[in-house]
Amino acid sequence: MSLVIEGISKSFGVVQALDDVSFAVEPGRIFGLLGANGAGKTTCMRIVLDILRADAGRVTWQGKLNTDLPRDTWGYLPEERGLYTRMKVMEVLRFFAELYGVSEADATREVEDWLERFRIPEYRDRKVEELSKGNQQKIQFIAAILHDPDVLIMDEPFTGLDPVNVQLLKEAFLEMRDRGKTLIFSTHQMETVEELCEAIAIIDRGRVVVDGALRDVKRAMGRQVVRLATDGDGHGVEWIDGLDGISITARRADFVELRVPSGTDPQLVLTAALQRGEHVTRFEIGEPSLEEIFIEHVGRPAADEEERHLAASSRGDGKEAPR
Amino acid sequence: MMDLFPNAWTIARREFTQRVRTKTFLIVTLVLALVGLGFGLLPVIGKLIIGDQVTTIAVHSDDAELQSSTVAALRLILNASDEGATYDITAADDAAAAEAQVRSGDLDGLLTVTRGADDELSFDALTDAGPTDQRLFAVRQAATQVNIGDRLQRAGVDPAEAGSIFAPTEFGVTRTNPESPNIEEDFGANYVMAYALVILTFMAVITYGTWVASSVAEEKSSRVMELLITAASPRQLLAGKVLGTGAAGLLQYVAVAGAAVVGFLLQGLLATALFGEGGSTGLENLDLSVLLPWGIFFVGGFMLYAILYAGLGSMASRQEDIQQVTGPMIFVGMGGYFAAFVAMSMPDAGWAKILSVIPFFSPYMLPMRMLLSNVAPWEWTLGALLMVLFLAGALWLAARVYSAGVLLYGQRANLRSAWRAVRVAR
Repeated sequence: MSLVIEGISKSFGVVQALDDVSFAVEPGRIFGLLGANGAGKTTCMRIVLDILRADAGRVTWQGKLNTDLPRDTWGYLPEERGLYTRMKVMEVLRFFAELYGVSEADATREVEDWLERFRIPEYRDRKVEELSKGNQQKIQFIAAILHDPDVLIMDEPFTGLDPVNVQLLKEAFLEMRDRGKTLIFSTHQMETVEELCEAIAIIDRGRVVVDGALRDVKRAMGRQVVRLATDGDGHGVEWIDGLDGISITARRADFVELRVPSGTDPQLVLTAALQRGEHVTRFEIGEPSLEEIFIEHVGRPAADEEERHLAASSRGDGKEAPR
Repeated sequence: MMDLFPNAWTIARREFTQRVRTKTFLIVTLVLALVGLGFGLLPVIGKLIIGDQVTTIAVHSDDAELQSSTVAALRLILNASDEGATYDITAADDAAAAEAQVRSGDLDGLLTVTRGADDELSFDALTDAGPTDQRLFAVRQAATQVNIGDRLQRAGVDPAEAGSIFAPTEFGVTRTNPESPNIEEDFGANYVMAYALVILTFMAVITYGTWVASSVAEEKSSRVMELLITAASPRQLLAGKVLGTGAAGLLQYVAVAGAAVVGFLLQGLLATALFGEGGSTGLENLDLSVLLPWGIFFVGGFMLYAILYAGLGSMASRQEDIQQVTGPMIFVGMGGYFAAFVAMSMPDAGWAKILSVIPFFSPYMLPMRMLLSNVAPWEWTLGALLMVLFLAGALWLAARVYSAGVLLYGQRANLRSAWRAVRVAR
């Protein structure tokens, strides 16, 4: 039985944050919730967690309404990180564990285990405020899983982490999945989703524009991508634009990316190139990337350059709060 | 109610230990305890400072006989009270010299007495005493007495008999309720006690209420809130916060009140040591039996205010907003405070009786009325019952504000938005 979100809508005053959102998450999987800032990801998560109530629709996990489920069903990593910064790491984590009814001995053992895994065992008795942002985020992750929740909900878990810590967190995700947990996380970093998620939902302005298994989503696009390189080094490839609906989507340093609509045989490109006497050094047929799928459905990238820069450099109050 | 625990307890314990452990708490408590000790010793200190103050007044009259009789009379009247202040009254034959002395500050005042054409005495004081100076009142009253004595003498009353005319009237009071605390000899002490309890209640409500509100706002601005509300229910969070902060506040209060009591106890010894026997300050008759009922209503009232403070605090995203959003609570708290003061002179007025069972005011009114009048058992019962009801209602209301408020950032924090939160909350 899975986590089922059925037709939830929520508005804050005149702002419609979610409009008839439905999707399902299979248990034991990692699920990606994609969307630009303000698309409604956080509101959706808060409704699943029952810290906000939807105006319409319902959420069930294993057939039970989320409003009837015990709190320890869920583990939550909010987008806005926050801990009691003047308390020691172990104290803070024990406190949250105690709220979920975890015994002190169990909590201590688990915390030590995870600190070891995250390679920060020496921070056990340090105050949270003495830790770097990245390390605080690891503590926050531990706080979300100490009570062994069935479903782990994480809002932008990778934002603000350096590559080493991103890798550690990815490993932790896989570890949790191997323990049979269900993981849902939101992001606008497509590469991470391609790497981790088996299924996704893309939300745009409060609506689900596409959802399902990643493979199916890609196939459903009904088109293919051709990467082509010739001795011409990307010069003089304008002739391609004239072919049956095929268009150039990107010019890279040593190849061009072409979009081939469904119903057109990608081989056509190769034939045409050879007929023109081009010397083909690379010809590759692939599925569209998630980034392309996102742009196709939403009409713009998940994060523009400025947003990425902001997300990486600061963790301020960038997120629009619901009104 | 049972689902509040154990989470409320966990939250309360964290709140208490984190607060009590800080240096600020320790220093503030120590300073306040010193103030409390000083307050307890105030009567002795006051006596020590103003006890040996002597007011020098010269009396002048062109009529030598009138001058000397006025001096004698004023000496007697002004030094009759045992308030400690003493008056040194001298005769001044040379008015101009005395006037110069007053102007140079060697004398506190010059009182000129003249007998007019109609034989009436008139007094004229030369002094730099301000309009609120108690000594000026005392001299004025004494002058009136001298004048009345003079009129009686002119009317042919024997000066020896004149004394008995001013003797106080015998006036006995028999109370229908023999248990009444309103016995004249205890009254002064009870009055002091009533004042003290009303002020203590007010300070606790405002100070610790603000603690609770800012603690909630801090959790909100540090964003730890979102984690908290997934781990515990708003009612558990509110109750825990109020209990934890309340316990820390109570600890501070006990330390301060304890120091004040030690001061009170010490002052008897000190007064005897400094002023010899009879250095009493009149506070030995304090009725301590009021402390238990006051304690109960104090704790109830504190929790009522604190719960609402916590709810309102959740509307504030920043520390600056707290003042604005908790304004109405301070207003209500002050209302109870002033109502209790006004009611001290009419503890059995209808409005005072009504207010004293209403939970926002009962912690002020009931103990005050118990000290200065009688509180019927049904009033206690009704007051306690309403308190419990209001506490449950406040917890429900505040939890609704809280569950919506903690997720709202960057909007105006006021009562209207709080009310909107109540309506949209889950």
